[in-house]
Amino acid sequence: MAVSHHLDTDVVVDEVVNPLGGVRSSYPGPRAEISRDTSLTWWRRVLPIISSHRYTFVGAVGLSLLSLIFQALVPNLLNNAFSDTLERHHGSLRVAVLEIIAIGVLAGASGMASRYFLQRTAFEVEADLRSLIYQHMTWLSFSFYDRVQSGQLISRANSDIRSVQMYATFAPLILVQCASGVLAFGFMLTIDPVLACIAMVVMPILYIVGIKMRRVLFPISWITQARLAEVATIVDENINGVRVVKSFAQEEAEINRLADAAERVSWAYIKDAQIRGQWSPWVQNLPQLGLALVLGFGGVMVIHGHLSVGGILAFNAYLLMLQAPFMMLGQLVMMGQRAKASAERIFEILDERPDIVERPGAFDLANVRGDIVFDDVRFAYRDTTIVEHLSLTINAGETIAIVGRTGSGKSTLARLINRFYDVSDGAVRIDGHDVRDYTLESLRANVGVVLDEPFLFSVSIAENIAYGRPDASARDIEAAARAANAHEFITKLPEGYSTVIGERGYTLSGGQRQRIAIARTLLVNPPILILDDATSAIDVHIEAGIYEALRTLMSTRTTIVIAHRISTITLAQRVVVLDEGHIVADGTHEELLATSPLYGEILAQSVREDL
Amino acid sequence: MAWGGGGWGGPGGGGMFGGASARTGLPFGGIPSELQAEATKLLATEPEHAPSALTFAQLPNAKERQRLSLWRMLADQPWLLAIGSVLVIAVSFLLQLGPALTQFAIDHGMIPGHRDVRVVIWCAIIYLGVALMSVWMQRLQATVSGTLAARVMHDLRIRVFTHFQRMSLDFFTEEKAGVLMSRMTSDIENLQQLIQDGITSFASQGLTMAVITIILFTLNVSLALWTVALIVPLLFALSVWFHHASEKGYLLVRDRIAFVLADLSESLYGIRVVTASNRQRRNIRNHRHVVGAYRDANMFTGRVNAVYGPSTIMIGILGQALLLGIGGTKVAHHQLSLGALVAFFLYLNRFFQPIQLLVQQYTALQQGRSSVIRLRELIETPPTVDETSDAVALPTIAGRITFEHVGFSYLEGRPVLSDVSLDIAPGESVAFVGPTGAGKSTLAKLANRFYDPTEGRVLVDGIDVRTVTLRSLRSQLGVVPQEPFLFAGSIRTNLKFSRPDVTDTELEEAVDVVGLRDLVSRLPEGLDTPVHERGQTLSAGERQLLALARAFLARPRVLILDEATSSLDLQSEIVVERALDRLLEGRTAILIAHRLTTAQRADRIVVVDHGGIVEMGSPDELIAAGGAYAGMYAAWLASGGRDATTGA
Repeated sequence: MAVSHHLDTDVVVDEVVNPLGGVRSSYPGPRAEISRDTSLTWWRRVLPIISSHRYTFVGAVGLSLLSLIFQALVPNLLNNAFSDTLERHHGSLRVAVLEIIAIGVLAGASGMASRYFLQRTAFEVEADLRSLIYQHMTWLSFSFYDRVQSGQLISRANSDIRSVQMYATFAPLILVQCASGVLAFGFMLTIDPVLACIAMVVMPILYIVGIKMRRVLFPISWITQARLAEVATIVDENINGVRVVKSFAQEEAEINRLADAAERVSWAYIKDAQIRGQWSPWVQNLPQLGLALVLGFGGVMVIHGHLSVGGILAFNAYLLMLQAPFMMLGQLVMMGQRAKASAERIFEILDERPDIVERPGAFDLANVRGDIVFDDVRFAYRDTTIVEHLSLTINAGETIAIVGRTGSGKSTLARLINRFYDVSDGAVRIDGHDVRDYTLESLRANVGVVLDEPFLFSVSIAENIAYGRPDASARDIEAAARAANAHEFITKLPEGYSTVIGERGYTLSGGQRQRIAIARTLLVNPPILILDDATSAIDVHIEAGIYEALRTLMSTRTTIVIAHRISTITLAQRVVVLDEGHIVADGTHEELLATSPLYGEILAQSVREDL
Repeated sequence: MAWGGGGWGGPGGGGMFGGASARTGLPFGGIPSELQAEATKLLATEPEHAPSALTFAQLPNAKERQRLSLWRMLADQPWLLAIGSVLVIAVSFLLQLGPALTQFAIDHGMIPGHRDVRVVIWCAIIYLGVALMSVWMQRLQATVSGTLAARVMHDLRIRVFTHFQRMSLDFFTEEKAGVLMSRMTSDIENLQQLIQDGITSFASQGLTMAVITIILFTLNVSLALWTVALIVPLLFALSVWFHHASEKGYLLVRDRIAFVLADLSESLYGIRVVTASNRQRRNIRNHRHVVGAYRDANMFTGRVNAVYGPSTIMIGILGQALLLGIGGTKVAHHQLSLGALVAFFLYLNRFFQPIQLLVQQYTALQQGRSSVIRLRELIETPPTVDETSDAVALPTIAGRITFEHVGFSYLEGRPVLSDVSLDIAPGESVAFVGPTGAGKSTLAKLANRFYDPTEGRVLVDGIDVRTVTLRSLRSQLGVVPQEPFLFAGSIRTNLKFSRPDVTDTELEEAVDVVGLRDLVSRLPEGLDTPVHERGQTLSAGERQLLALARAFLARPRVLILDEATSSLDLQSEIVVERALDRLLEGRTAILIAHRLTTAQRADRIVVVDHGGIVEMGSPDELIAAGGAYAGMYAAWLASGGRDATTGA
């Protein structure tokens, strides 16, 4: 099963060309996967990943508890120092000072260690999740990619990973903070139970206010994001579509469109400010209210001798210490809700299973002759039957053209041979065996496909050509480029084969891109070659040259050409006409011209009567 | 005491609100479903905004010519600015009253010999009142500064965008697209943050520091000196170090996450190639390096955060030890009141936040300043094609276009066109043919003033195009560019783009004329079907038809078609050409022809090569003449008819 590739942790790190200009990382890859058991709660499913970092994680939690205990001790020491040395004049001030210094140093050191370990866990977990999602998506089948929009998928996954990561690592920290809050409350109780309760009156309110505030703040900040994205879209369109705007003199309409969007952003920002204004001053001032209560009630207690002035100071400190856990507890609830939803979206991806998998006992396709047989093939995709009762034999070494109108199913045929999709019924055989009996890797290594949309990666041209055979020598790369008629234009580029293309690099024309895509497949030198409308943007003369090169390079190659253009079609020895998922004609170009009206019609669109 | 505690969120950790996607240039992923209900509730409170009714003039008015500065932008909202300032000052003072009241209550109500319950109670009540007052004033302040920032940025967005619209085509190069985008997004958002929180916070923290320092010195000069001299510089230095280090870490993290997302996105968009090339394992290993590098950058910020936060806590505790040692001795020797010492402790706590925030805000302030400078530079860049101040509106034209000894170069000394003279009669269609880079597109761009000729003149109906307003010129000259650009929205909004006041009848007519009827009736939502991701739901041919319909609706007198059929398959090309025939009826047309099928239908063909006109005449004349065009035509026929290209 392809799924078994998921965790090949025995990778040899050094063999990889690093894209970051020499920056290497010792990251070994994830040590665990999420639990496959979908009946578990979301955090139980993430748990295996966290527990693969248990030492740093447990260490971090333990150390932060220690650090918080040290911090909680300070006000108590101060209180004692006040009441003993300053009010009752016994005990040593120097000892108290030294004690506080020692505790301060300990609190600082344990705090540093705990934060370091905690963040380390957080970032390791994040890296694990990112790696897991990447490797999972790499093995998914195309039915998945046909369904989702890649850009949004990435954007969504990115923020979802962050929110799970934050919750998974900060939740324990916040709980530790709460533990220290309990400790602080304990100290307050030992100083004076009644005053402790009075001082605590405001805390539950703080918790509620914190929750309320976040409940409305999160949505408004997402609304703001959405609206900023609207503005960005308009700006982007006006930069990329500037010719259209100027051609029709629509500057004013566009300015008003932007102004409307800006107005909506303004509303969101003002709303955000109002919501913040409504809640955050309470969060900031509620502890002050507590302090005022302590001053009033505590002051009276001091007058009656039940409390020392140092006690008021200590209560001040403890209240401020309690402020954080109560606020964070509210945050924890919110983060938990977010993280749950985020985790579920991540699981949706990770629970997706590839539908194209190897059969048990699959064997390698080797020493290919190149006979391809479609045996009563039916292919349905999302309830639509695209191909039915289709039988076709392609002989080894043959060059065959598949012709048909848009939607006739001609591209589907190609995608069934290398198992981009699987047949619904019947079988596709190569050299007498069902393609599903071969291992996927050997099948795809022997069936080369050049797709209609030539996707190139943002690396150098040489690396793009060598994509399927990264160990290819410069000579092989050049030979493939020559065969695809690409060598000449590549050498004219500023940096030749090292020219980086794509988003941050050099822009190539459609025809040039197609030629590189052809070179990429030719370098692998597959015994079966499928060109799916792969030369549509290439000039006819150059196209003819490419086919000439293909013929001389390897006469035993089986080649399937899917095309619209008559110039391309006439390069094949045999033509198959497809209509509505059926083969309606099969023969040489001349035969079909004589016998098939549909073929004539399709070609008639190429050679118009009036010319 | 809850000392400091800063450093958690830090600049590295701010991905909470999905801001990460804005930074990395990914599309907005949408509001998460779990927040959707609350968001809908909030949106229900939004009033109907009146549609904007701004006017656009090519030449900026006096206000738009003013130098862009932060101060001037703020001064445009004088009332909000004044109220905001008063509130900032008031809140800063109010917040420091607590410890002073505590000190007063201790010294005048609790110390043996001065015991007085009324003083204590009154102090507590005043303290309560002060806290409630702060709540109210902070609330007002948040709303005022938020509104101020939103208004200022609203105006700024429009101002910068209006400037974009004034700029000429040469300004919008592919390389610059990203930069222009970030001026309108991240630079303006920087300023938004700066005005909303930065300036206010900077002012109030500065004030707070000053107020506390004064109070400490009034309480006790030598103890204040100790505190200020020891703690402030230490904390300040630590904060400065932290902000430098975390800024460095932040940039590193930002770069590395961009790599992670770029690698992920390439792998997904290219998944078919990845699979066909059996590259999965290798790519997974490669991605681990990229993710690992990102993790390492995160670890760097993690270490910086781990040092900073606990250090401030430690300094706080050590500061208390110091106060206890020195202050306690003073109290024992009756040089300081007990209440004053308590007040010192309370104020010490309040010293920390301002220092940390000041350093943090200083960075924001600098970023904001550089954003203002970048925006100012942008706004002060003049357009290369501009109106003269005495430009008049071009009256309705018949459609004669005349090139008079026109020369043009993008770069000085490298002429693309030289001494081109050509007269196109009203209603005539002229096809420009010639190899790529011969200058045929450039020639067309001079007619509607996408560029101005470096030599000679271009006349429309005998009027030099440089003497008329751009709008009056361009609204009479329609252009269909090579790549049909569609805006996010429905088919309808895209069709109406060229003339927003178009009626439904006209719309339906245009749909019929260009042959879009089939498509429109096939789509479930008809004309209101949204076109996604720059039109990827439609085929190239359908997009081209949409662009033609758009041009048809604009009813220009002159139509310029820039290789409009070059990227189409056969069937679409035939449909598009049928539409073209309808479109060209009775109009002057310049066809920049890639395929000779387009050229053959023109009244006249102009062969452009090496920056000049090589030959011209009707198609039949040129074929008969046996010149350059005849050669092209023969090659085209030989290679199988319609598919031939004129270029190399």
